[in-house]
Amino acid sequence: MSCPEKYTAYMHDYLDEDISEQRALELSEHIQSCGTCEEHFKELKRTIALVQGTAHIKAPEGFTEDIMAKLPKEKRKVELNR
Amino acid sequence: METIVNSRIKQVLKGDQNAYGEIVELYKDKIFQLCYRMLGNRHEAEDVAQEAFIRAYINIQSFKQGKKFSSWIYRIATNLCIDRIRKKKPDYFLDAEVPGTEGLTMYSQIASDSVMPEDKLVRLELQETVQKEISKLPEKYRAVIVLKYMEELSLNEISEILDIPLGTVKTRIHRGRETLRQQLRNL
Repeated sequence: MSCPEKYTAYMHDYLDEDISEQRALELSEHIQSCGTCEEHFKELKRTIALVQGTAHIKAPEGFTEDIMAKLPKEKRKVELNR
Repeated sequence: METIVNSRIKQVLKGDQNAYGEIVELYKDKIFQLCYRMLGNRHEAEDVAQEAFIRAYINIQSFKQGKKFSSWIYRIATNLCIDRIRKKKPDYFLDAEVPGTEGLTMYSQIASDSVMPEDKLVRLELQETVQKEISKLPEKYRAVIVLKYMEELSLNEISEILDIPLGTVKTRIHRGRETLRQQLRNL
């Protein structure tokens, strides 16, 4: 037996911190009594943790210098004339 | 940060190109990361991230003072990434073999510490899998997931950056999360 769709919607609203207290309570009660939805919710939270767990990466060396060298030249003249 | 940025933009508008360098410094990691997560490839990410900053510079007159510069640059970069994805042939991934090498992948091209303890290796493999699954998402879901979970932006900011209603942002995040859940559940 599958659960009403609304519980999945509530899970996502919960994850977006965009859920009313009433619905959050309803979701929590449902999850306590339904293994499938409990598992679903756990998997969603784990997915988020995995995505957030990918390390932050930094721009390569010399990134800014490369850009500065590629900027159109006209503006530089203005700078020289100041 | 926005105050510093706004004063630098004023300098740029007056013709001071060096002031733009400071703006690039402030946002380069965020924009590079966005491009990398969207494209799944460092070389392309660098290319697109640079193009985003150059375009922003060229169009700086059209940036509305008082708006958030970060949203503006994010928007330029996201759009460039989406264009690039649409033009691209099927994705190739970091673990694809580098041509002319034996068993070398793009991962081995990325500088790493000389010691690679096993737990670190496992973590790297996990991150690789996650990145691969993100790269498989249709670009409209990919953009919201990257902006939300890697750039840590609010739903409102994402709505502004992508110029789509908040409700659409939510729907896309929900779908993106569901797709990733199904792909990553057996990890």
